[in-house]
Amino acid sequence: MAPSSSSGLTFKLHPLVIVNISDHYTRVKTQLNPPPSVCATENASSNNGEAMLQPNPRVYGCVIGVQRGRTVEIFNSFELLFDPSTETLDRSFLEKKQELYKKVFPDFYVLGWYSTGSDAEESDMLIHKALMDINESPVYVLLNPAINHAQKDLPVTIYESELHVIDGIPLLIFAHTSYTIETVEAERISVDHVAHLKPSDGGSAATQLAAHLTGIHSAIKMLNSRIRVLHQYLAAMEKGDIPCENSLLRQVSSLLRRLPAMESERFHDNFLMEYNDKLLVTYLAMITNCTSTMNEMVDKFNIAYDRNARRGGRTAFM
Amino acid sequence: MSSTENLITSIQGLSASSGDLSALHRILKGAEETLRADSDLQLSTLDQLDPSKHSLGYLYLLDVLTCGGPMSKEKASEVVLLIARFITSCDAEQIRLASDKFVSLCKGFKDRVLELEDPLRGVAPLLSAVRKVQVSTKRLTALHPDCLQLCLQAKCYKAGFSILSDDILEVDQPRDFYLYCYYGGMICIGQKKFQKALELLYNVVTAPMHSVNAIALEAYKKYVLVTLIHSGQFSVSLPKCASTAAQRHLKTWSIPYTEVGNCYNEGKISELQAVVVAHSSDFEKDNNLGLVKQAVSSLYKRNILRLTQKYLTLSLQDIANMVQLANAKEAEMHVLQMIQDGQIHALINQKDGMVRFLEDPEQYKTSEMIEVMDSVIQRTIMLSKNLIAMDESLSCDPLYLGKVGRERQRYDFGEDFDTVPQKFSM
Repeated sequence: MAPSSSSGLTFKLHPLVIVNISDHYTRVKTQLNPPPSVCATENASSNNGEAMLQPNPRVYGCVIGVQRGRTVEIFNSFELLFDPSTETLDRSFLEKKQELYKKVFPDFYVLGWYSTGSDAEESDMLIHKALMDINESPVYVLLNPAINHAQKDLPVTIYESELHVIDGIPLLIFAHTSYTIETVEAERISVDHVAHLKPSDGGSAATQLAAHLTGIHSAIKMLNSRIRVLHQYLAAMEKGDIPCENSLLRQVSSLLRRLPAMESERFHDNFLMEYNDKLLVTYLAMITNCTSTMNEMVDKFNIAYDRNARRGGRTAFM
Repeated sequence: MSSTENLITSIQGLSASSGDLSALHRILKGAEETLRADSDLQLSTLDQLDPSKHSLGYLYLLDVLTCGGPMSKEKASEVVLLIARFITSCDAEQIRLASDKFVSLCKGFKDRVLELEDPLRGVAPLLSAVRKVQVSTKRLTALHPDCLQLCLQAKCYKAGFSILSDDILEVDQPRDFYLYCYYGGMICIGQKKFQKALELLYNVVTAPMHSVNAIALEAYKKYVLVTLIHSGQFSVSLPKCASTAAQRHLKTWSIPYTEVGNCYNEGKISELQAVVVAHSSDFEKDNNLGLVKQAVSSLYKRNILRLTQKYLTLSLQDIANMVQLANAKEAEMHVLQMIQDGQIHALINQKDGMVRFLEDPEQYKTSEMIEVMDSVIQRTIMLSKNLIAMDESLSCDPLYLGKVGRERQRYDFGEDFDTVPQKFSM
């Protein structure tokens, strides 16, 4: 359904657009499915029946930017309301917003539209055609909100429309194009900030220390597995499953004779003392971490639940 | 009655697998009314059932039989024996299906045992009951405080202490939690494990509450005294995490204790004793007089501890003078006691009556230390994960977000920022 486009246009996407789309989606999703504490407080209103709405609502909006020659640069985006009865986007609102944006950014114009979902659908073509009177060849930016840890690329695809003749009928179909991410300095800083807000479990090591330790860890793991192989080999040789090979045995024994490198009372003492020191430092770090988390949590709890919370002079910055 | 016999046969038949058990549960719930109306039901009918295999049915029948009003002493002790035997031999899985019935049965059991004034009989059964009702070791059940109360009455602190060693992470009812921590604190005081008592009492005092309740007040009084005994310091202000209700009102209700605390901070024995004598009627009323006396004797220890920070060697007579003890012999006894408890490290030279204070000899060089550190670090990591999860769920709580949004409105300066909307639409 989505072959590669052959128009030869280069697309540049700014991170602001991606953050906008994902923020829009998250907001709508959270408001449609409020957390259970709020559900319980609303007594038997109609909201309870609708609380089980589509788990993944689709959101829609417009992308704007600049097209210079063969390069299409998508700078910004704004949201639009989708009218499910007529299956079109709210036209008057779009034009109003367009006017407003023209005042601030005179160079930008509507380049296309965006939506969320896992794949482009047939119904999207209607919206696409509706936008064709603003821009002859709009682009369609699709964001896949499903979180897939194994996937390394961004779940954003850009589609162009192409006129193909299928069975003698000229049809417009979506063709996906490649794009690059282009950042302005301000965007780089904010994306960096967002990325460091919460370190993901199992993600790549963000800091130098973690990278160094991971390197050592994998090295030791490799050493361990190799020693295990040798051990199994020797055990098998002892049992008689494998014929004895004297050259290999000589190599193994020379390896073993190199150990232990150092064995004395003082070394043992010093080693244990250093080990304990490191453990104590780790413990201290853990306790500090826990204490700071607990402190923030207590602050939040007091703000949220304490009836007579202190007023004046204390705002909690999230 | 034939319906009772039917019920008994169905109990015997359906107690095998979990699917049958849920069907049995439904039958029992429906038949409960008829059972109550049945006047022929006797304790002897229970003999037809085996408590370990037919626990669910046995539980329902026992509940109907024993929840009646006041009983004669012999009947009460017979009932108590029956319930005790049931609790020790029942099957945990079946019990958890009807856990609130089981809890009410155990509470009734506890009341009868207290009526009979023989709390010791109830301790062991309730201990096993707690273990059986608990879904996981991190969850507090309604039976925990009852068990601890019986242990306190029976003065067998060791049994109660075994329950206290679990870390509690989930709580069903706040009142259970308050009672659990309060009784637990008292048991630890009885066992002279003041560190743990302090933790438990601290939990009650800083627990979230909208208005001060009596349990928190009593706990606060004991908390003040135990802080004095254990750490030798007293501060009037409660930690930040205590609820504002507690912070404002607890102090007004426990003035004698705060006076003792303030006097303790000064460090003069005679003044402290005068204050204690002045308020002794208050302390007697709260049953805290023993604790207060312990606090007074701990003042000596605190003063001696202070001396270790100033001097390297001191003669016993000098110690006695500085701490206002009677003579050198008493000073020697106190120092010896403290060395044995591990509170200070010192060497007493008996020939010339000199005491030399030493540093902590722990070198952190041994492999046992590594094991201790490792287990402690693991525990902290688990705690940290729990805390981060709770923190995140609080950040997403709409109650919290609403209040933060509202407060931000006041401090943004008008023209530059829009007021933060309560609900983001679109």
